[in-house]
Amino acid sequence: MDAVVARTATITSDKKVVSMRRRRLIVNTILFVVLLLGAIVMLYPLLWMLFTSFKNYTEIYDGLFPKHWTGAAYKYIFTEKEKLPTSLVRGFINSVLCTVPVVLVQVFVSAMAAFAFAKLHFKGKNILFIIMLATQMIPFTVIMIPQVYVFRTFGLLNGPIAVIIPKMFGAVMTVFFLRQFLYGIPDALTEAARLDGAGYNRTFFSIVLPLIMPALSTQMILSFIGNWNDYLGPLLYIVGEEWYTLPLIIDNFAGNDGGFDGVPRIMAASLISMVPILVIFAAFQKKIVGSIVFSAVKG
Amino acid sequence: MLLEISKPKGRRLGWKENYIGWLYCLPIIIGILVFTLFPIILSVYSMFLDWTGFQLIWDAEFYGMENFKVLFTGVEKTVFWHALGNTFCMMLNIPVSMLLGVLLALAMNRKMPGAKVFRVIYYVPCITSVVAVTILFTKLFNTDGVINKMLEVFGKKNHAKWLTDDVLVKVTVNILIIWKGLGYSTLMYLAGLQSVSTDQIEAAKIDGATGAKIFTKITLPALYPITFYLLVTGIMGGLQLFNEPYILVEYGLHNNAMTNASLIYYYYEHQQMGVAAVGAWALAILVFIVTFIQMAVDNKKEKY
Repeated sequence: MDAVVARTATITSDKKVVSMRRRRLIVNTILFVVLLLGAIVMLYPLLWMLFTSFKNYTEIYDGLFPKHWTGAAYKYIFTEKEKLPTSLVRGFINSVLCTVPVVLVQVFVSAMAAFAFAKLHFKGKNILFIIMLATQMIPFTVIMIPQVYVFRTFGLLNGPIAVIIPKMFGAVMTVFFLRQFLYGIPDALTEAARLDGAGYNRTFFSIVLPLIMPALSTQMILSFIGNWNDYLGPLLYIVGEEWYTLPLIIDNFAGNDGGFDGVPRIMAASLISMVPILVIFAAFQKKIVGSIVFSAVKG
Repeated sequence: MLLEISKPKGRRLGWKENYIGWLYCLPIIIGILVFTLFPIILSVYSMFLDWTGFQLIWDAEFYGMENFKVLFTGVEKTVFWHALGNTFCMMLNIPVSMLLGVLLALAMNRKMPGAKVFRVIYYVPCITSVVAVTILFTKLFNTDGVINKMLEVFGKKNHAKWLTDDVLVKVTVNILIIWKGLGYSTLMYLAGLQSVSTDQIEAAKIDGATGAKIFTKITLPALYPITFYLLVTGIMGGLQLFNEPYILVEYGLHNNAMTNASLIYYYYEHQQMGVAAVGAWALAILVFIVTFIQMAVDNKKEKY
């Protein structure tokens, strides 16, 4: 009798496990389908952009895929110049000029300040840090217009200089982030370097910089994406059309070529402007996604 | 031995480290002085000037409170409040995005095939160029565009004016912002979920807590800091919203998608720098209020 009870007990618990597994499978399947539908919604606009750039304008709103594939839109945006403020190739060069120096110098300068704040002891350090953070409260809308005035007074609005220069002096949020990262590195390392006779510069260049390289490269990637996509900055600071960055060019182009027949060309130009970003994202997606997770846990 | 260790410590507060520390911070100090503090002074001063921005600032005439009158009591006074209303309407995506983010993160946090791929796919819109995707949305939400064609399938024959209707244009901006930002809030919540320790959940299970109880007592409280962070940064960004509505619709003073930031830009373009400065500081005050609320809540949290 006891044996029978014990057996039925194990059978029911087995059944319970099986039914739990089954329930889990059902829930997972439903969630998978929901996530898949959501993923389609997220990707559909970008796929529409891609496929429409290969369409003839008569069929732009007839389904997702082109019925007759054509590269005419791409040929047009690279050869015709009257509707573009400046050529796409020139725009590409301008965008590179406005981002690459900024990314390199901005992150380096921020790393210098982060090193000082995290590892050096100097008078007024805390007050300086608080003032620095406090300036972050001021919205960009307040300072953007006087900045334009200053650059105009010095005649610097024609080229990319007004976009580049203000960012060359570091970014407070990057300093903040790198300082947090440096706190994770024991002081003993920098102290030991100094006891061995290394100066501050050598400590910074051969100990600190290599150690924070992972964080630096992530900041550089994020800074590149942000600066490449920036719209308001170039809109305010670049007056000369031949110096327009890609976002300004496609914005202008979309205004000039507004008819139905312009849609494939506008989509092609928009897509071309995003190629570097998409390539970088594809290459570093783990790093980018990971850095957001890291900052979330810290914050 | 003792002497050797205490010697560098004594040197620490010497003049050399003081000077090196400031030297390392020098670029960012110059940056803040020249590109933040100096513009702030100019901006405050220009609130009281009749200044086009094309003449030198000391050549501009003193204007008293005229700029304030233009924005708050003049013929155009409704424009400011209208823009503020629009700005608030275009912040409605914040709670929606947070709610969807939590749900998606809960789904993606389960052990199932493809969860990691989904994370990446949902994040793709976040890195796209705001100009490119906003132009894309003007084509999708056209009266003859893709969205209306899709709605036709569901039996909605008369085409909605997504880009020109007073209410619908705000819906479109909100949809655009949700689509572009959803991957970010999902990732943030996912990080929050992964910070919940499995030990804690196991212990609760042993104590006989049900799934629902674990969710409300352990998981949700763990997501509180991220929710607060997303809310604050969302409001700060939302108050300064410019790109999406500016590119999405044709642009004019009585535009139904004009935000405070685009109003400031409007006055800048029309060479009324003083009015633009007043508008910018009105916006700054709202940002300060949000910051102070954030600080107060943070302080309160630390006390507990």
